[in-house]
Amino acid sequence: MSHATTHDDHAAHDGHAAHADHGGIAKYIYVFLALCFLTTMSFFTYSQYWPWPDPAVKRLFMTAVSCTKAMLVILFFMHVKYEANWKYVLTIPASIMSVFLCLALVPDIGARMNGLFGYEGKYSPERWEHVGDRADVEAMLTASEHAAQHSEHEAEHAE
Amino acid sequence: MASIAHGHEHAAASHHGHPPKLQYHPGLPIPNGKLFMWLFLSTEIMFFAALIGVYIVIRFGAAVWPATHEVHLSEPIGAFNTFVLICSSVSVVLALEAAKRNNASGAKGWITITLLLGCVFLGVKGYEYRAKFAHGIYPWNPLSLVHEQPDVYYGSAVRARATELITQLKAEAGIATPADAAQAGASPDGAAAPGAADSENAATSSAETETGGEAAVEAASTTPPLDEAEVAERLERIQMLERLQQRSASTDRAELAALAADIMPMPLSEEAGHVEGLNDKYSWLKMPVVIPGGNMWASTYFLLTGFHAIHVVVGLIVFGIMLTMVLDAQRAGVIENVGLYWHFVDLVWIFLFPLLYLF
Repeated sequence: MSHATTHDDHAAHDGHAAHADHGGIAKYIYVFLALCFLTTMSFFTYSQYWPWPDPAVKRLFMTAVSCTKAMLVILFFMHVKYEANWKYVLTIPASIMSVFLCLALVPDIGARMNGLFGYEGKYSPERWEHVGDRADVEAMLTASEHAAQHSEHEAEHAE
Repeated sequence: MASIAHGHEHAAASHHGHPPKLQYHPGLPIPNGKLFMWLFLSTEIMFFAALIGVYIVIRFGAAVWPATHEVHLSEPIGAFNTFVLICSSVSVVLALEAAKRNNASGAKGWITITLLLGCVFLGVKGYEYRAKFAHGIYPWNPLSLVHEQPDVYYGSAVRARATELITQLKAEAGIATPADAAQAGASPDGAAAPGAADSENAATSSAETETGGEAAVEAASTTPPLDEAEVAERLERIQMLERLQQRSASTDRAELAALAADIMPMPLSEEAGHVEGLNDKYSWLKMPVVIPGGNMWASTYFLLTGFHAIHVVVGLIVFGIMLTMVLDAQRAGVIENVGLYWHFVDLVWIFLFPLLYLF
């Protein structure tokens, strides 16, 4: 086992030697600024200045921003950019299994209400009895609008 | 994680009478600690990818999903927490750089800053959770006040809560005998709703009403007498609650929706933000509310942020332990491994923030 320990030590030293030439505080600061900028970009979609009302554009934009941020953290903060090819052995199988798990759920759960694969409104009758639907949202919005108007009238009368 | 190398050479050597000389090489060219951390992180990738993936699938497969302001989420607070975690990621890498330069005190300083930033993150998350709890949004049923639709079960739950409060207020104001209070506490109103899922809510409310009656009797016998102004205030409250009771007896969905909108209105637009209702005006009221899709939202929100918060807590405990060590160049490997974990926690939040607050 002493041999193994020696080689582990070598590996450790190799690892640190590899890190030594890519570090640099300036690089971390640039990555930090990029992350702050990208977070502001995500938040921009929430502001009134966001020009595209279509939620699909908003979601696509935020997904792209999140993936960019994740890449920056993984590559620079987690030093994956400077690691050898072993990084693929550990990360790619885990990522593939995660994607498969989500895809496996799409037909039964993800597609039951939005018409994918020919499914539409596939809740069970029991579930429909106790789950909120579009009609409930509309009823609540109408009632909330009336409540807002009523409180405005009351405020005017009070004045 | 070692393997036997140069097998042919050893075999050839043994033919010449020399004992085989084993030489070990690491399976991967990294230290054992780092390999362990990456293996652990690969399981964590699957764990959080599954949670986030399931959230996306459920969210887009749901009949309705509440907007952020309906469930009292604040986007600026979420963005602030993202900023805090990014800062903490930077402080970890700076700690690693300091340790590599054998600057133990510098490394300890950066780890302390990371620890503090993690505490700030948890504090903000706690504040957010408190806002949800204050509005009756819990991930479990006995405490949750959320109903999916303004139906008769909702009306029944409002009636049960109003009855409970009236009993307590009458006892406080001294206008009910203990016998009256007990009778009101055992009123069948709360248990009037038969049925499947929401009957659980109604049964809970009924149980609360019964205990409310007992509490009222106790309150009447132990609290000091109120002055005239306080009694008048109690009577006003009772009148308001009786009006709510009458409205909740309706079986018309539009009328029950109007009642729900008075108790907690829905924001009329994304920009409108949270609109105040009776539950906000009177913090003691705690009436059931209607948020279509709110229960599934609460389950997924608390599950995702809860698991993330647990990971933050674990990270903070490890940082706390590290502060007891001398963080010189020899400990750079430890800082790197713990840093990998912390960056992963940051990474998860990078996806959670837009998914939960902005989608």
